[in-house]
Amino acid sequence: MGLVQVATNTVTSAVAQVDLVGITTDDVYMVTISGVKLASDQDLNFRVLKSSSPDTTYNYDGASKVLRTDTTFSNSGYVNNDSWFMDFIGNGVDETGNGILYLFNFNNSSEYSFATQEGVAVDDSNPTLKGRTGGVVHTVASASNGIRFFGLSSVNISAGSFTLYKVI
Amino acid sequence: MSEFGYIPDSANIEQSFGNNKGIFTPKDIYDLTRADKYTNYGQLELIETQTVSTVNTVNFTNLGDYNVHFLTVNNLQVAVTNTRLGVRFYESGVLETAGVYQWAYQQCLQGSGGEFKATSHSSIPIQIEQPINFGGGGYNYFYNLIDNTKFSFLTNQHNRISNAMIGEFGSGVMPQTSEVTGFQIGSYDSSNENFSLTASLYGIKEYS
Repeated sequence: MGLVQVATNTVTSAVAQVDLVGITTDDVYMVTISGVKLASDQDLNFRVLKSSSPDTTYNYDGASKVLRTDTTFSNSGYVNNDSWFMDFIGNGVDETGNGILYLFNFNNSSEYSFATQEGVAVDDSNPTLKGRTGGVVHTVASASNGIRFFGLSSVNISAGSFTLYKVI
Repeated sequence: MSEFGYIPDSANIEQSFGNNKGIFTPKDIYDLTRADKYTNYGQLELIETQTVSTVNTVNFTNLGDYNVHFLTVNNLQVAVTNTRLGVRFYESGVLETAGVYQWAYQQCLQGSGGEFKATSHSSIPIQIEQPINFGGGGYNYFYNLIDNTKFSFLTNQHNRISNAMIGEFGSGVMPQTSEVTGFQIGSYDSSNENFSLTASLYGIKEYS
């Protein structure tokens, strides 16, 4: 397996979203996420980009296992959301979110866009580990050329590295 | 580095990443790549592969300058059945063996499953209850290891087979802001059982 970097964005001052654009082939793509902080306690979510614009329609489904050390694990399933869930992160000194996405069929205009996800973060107050592993799908058969990360409820992303690779 | 590349009537061309000029021989490319001055966007870069037999620890002490690392573990066999293996981090060269690690794993078994987690253990498991004579495998992504301002995380997935197939996935953290300079694979607890494996550590390079 090899990786070719397609796009990267390192956040050092607060931004509303991070876009990674450049999916132009039918290859599998991978995204690394590390050291992400949000301006306040909130979910880091993500969406597909179509012609570099976010698709905000309610066509995002996901199923994952939420792993945490402070309570029983839970199953997270949702249909017809307007984005996908990645990590729950906050603004505590030591709260960061991290993870890996593998993207499938994003460039294929006749297939749904799929992704697998594995993420891990901490809730700073304890600290408590919170992880999420599962899969997501965008139930629209259309081409996507990238992915957007953002904080729910318009919470800014204040730090982190996001990089998109083509898997070769 | 004007010695790299051939450019007619251009004697002193400085080569740099993203700004290469000239016609390059294989040796030029090799030398420039080693100097990190040859444009080749994004790589999964092998740092080190270790194949060991009948040892009770394996150390990886060269992490390079990567934000994210990828570790594969293959053909893992242990001397005592159901031994668990884990990782511990070196903080500025000192192995952290105290009960500071947190982790949460989902076990997937035929017809059932279960939770496996801890908030104050002396390692983070990367392979759980490996039976004798069955080569297990798995992978890990590590995050923020070399960043002394952030906690060090991993996500993991691995498998084992005994009477039935078992898959496990999860994540872990050493919730201490420190520079991690390496890690050690060894028994998950104090049992110090011997094992054999092949493990490859990669860095996932980012170009700004």
